[in-house]
Amino acid sequence: MTLPAKAFQRWLHGIAPDASTADVCRVSGIKRTTLAQQLVRGKVSVSTVVSISRAYNINPVAALAGFDSYRILAGPPQPPTRCELVSQISTADLLRAALARPAMDPVGRRGAAPPALSPVPHASSVKNWVDAIDDGEVRHRVSAATGIAPQNYSAQLTANRLSPELAVATSVAAGVGPAGGLVATGLVTEEEAGWAPGARQEALDSMSDGDLTALVGDRMQALGKVLRRQEQDQAQTEKIWENLG
Amino acid sequence: MITILQWTTLAICGLVALARIPSAVRGENRSLFYIFALMTLAILLSIEAPYVAIDHALGGVNLTNLLLRFVIFGAIYFVGVRITKGFGAANAYRLITGRTGMLALAALSALVVVVYLLMDTAGSSAGLVTVSGKDPRNGLLVEYYGAAGRAYPAFVSLVLFPAMVRAARSRLPLLVRIAAGLLAVGGLSIALTLFFPAVPPELGSLEFMVNYTAVLCFVIGLALIWAARIRQDKRAGSGTSFTEK
Repeated sequence: MTLPAKAFQRWLHGIAPDASTADVCRVSGIKRTTLAQQLVRGKVSVSTVVSISRAYNINPVAALAGFDSYRILAGPPQPPTRCELVSQISTADLLRAALARPAMDPVGRRGAAPPALSPVPHASSVKNWVDAIDDGEVRHRVSAATGIAPQNYSAQLTANRLSPELAVATSVAAGVGPAGGLVATGLVTEEEAGWAPGARQEALDSMSDGDLTALVGDRMQALGKVLRRQEQDQAQTEKIWENLG
Repeated sequence: MITILQWTTLAICGLVALARIPSAVRGENRSLFYIFALMTLAILLSIEAPYVAIDHALGGVNLTNLLLRFVIFGAIYFVGVRITKGFGAANAYRLITGRTGMLALAALSALVVVVYLLMDTAGSSAGLVTVSGKDPRNGLLVEYYGAAGRAYPAFVSLVLFPAMVRAARSRLPLLVRIAAGLLAVGGLSIALTLFFPAVPPELGSLEFMVNYTAVLCFVIGLALIWAARIRQDKRAGSGTSFTEK
């Protein structure tokens, strides 16, 4: 959901009283026409607020908390659960970590120590995050709370997308920290959401060999499905080119 | 209004056919060039002035109209074959090229010829307007002749329709999906021509609109698929990563 332009103007005036719209665009890297259009329509996108906050060294989560629809983000950040942290590790990183565990190779040949984790978000971060916090009913509760049709919600997850409004609603419905979804969608960084540095690595290290291996298996299976679907789409497209291109 | 529609359709069709010549010379999907060329010829023959000119050269017995029917049959047959092959619609392909399709083509071709021979066809006139005005018998025969001529294209386009709707809703590249949507609309328009006998004479211009909408949808749809391929080839040439869908 977008933010009302009035509230946005008030907020902007609070952080940069003397700056013109042009100044704000320049320091935040937003295209002038984009912001002008959002203001004319009366709907300012959440990512606009995030970019401007960063430009003025304000925590974007705290900035969003100043708007009515994101009030829930206010207050001290709630630490992420272990499931959430692990969900934000890419499949490739998980696989490398698993291979480096002694249990994976009974002969005793240890794989090389895996490199540092790649940054959030990864290719299936949104879907993995929702799966990690889902008690089986979360999707129902989100659709009841926000009015989004379940199939539209699923479509967003499949595309690894989630609107900020839904991301927050999902956190609330699952009872986890409200900013977790914003991290998973890549809107804000782990640091901005108050996740401790190295928290993902710690969560990964604390996983048992069995849990890690099972998780890698699930992820690989999901990845295999995605890749196979892409290959099928590609083959179909090739066939169309071949006959009609 | 109708004249403009006719000549623009002719121009678009002719341009696409011309643009297709280089690839036809290189041997890429020559049948596509033939389809565009046949469609251009069909439109040329359906416009009064060129029709009368050509028919005079052919003896002034409306032989051109018979020719036009077979040009349309040929074009729609090749369209059906290429599209069903390209979109992997195996059942539709079998229906068109199998016994049912061949039987329909043979029977309707024979019917068109027989009815043509039964008519008193002297006096060039596009759409056989003067012929149908001669007496009630000829009027009735022109109706049958027209119906037989419209039946085969309607058959093919109805066979194509489900596959096109499926393709338009699939995960194929956007341009291809738009193209499939256009082809579906074109197919539906051709099917609508079956109801022409029920259209009151005052709404005769409606028939023109439906006919030319159908042709335009097919030509632009096929051209879009071609454009999509060119776009794809360019992208592949500029070296995008394999992760891009």
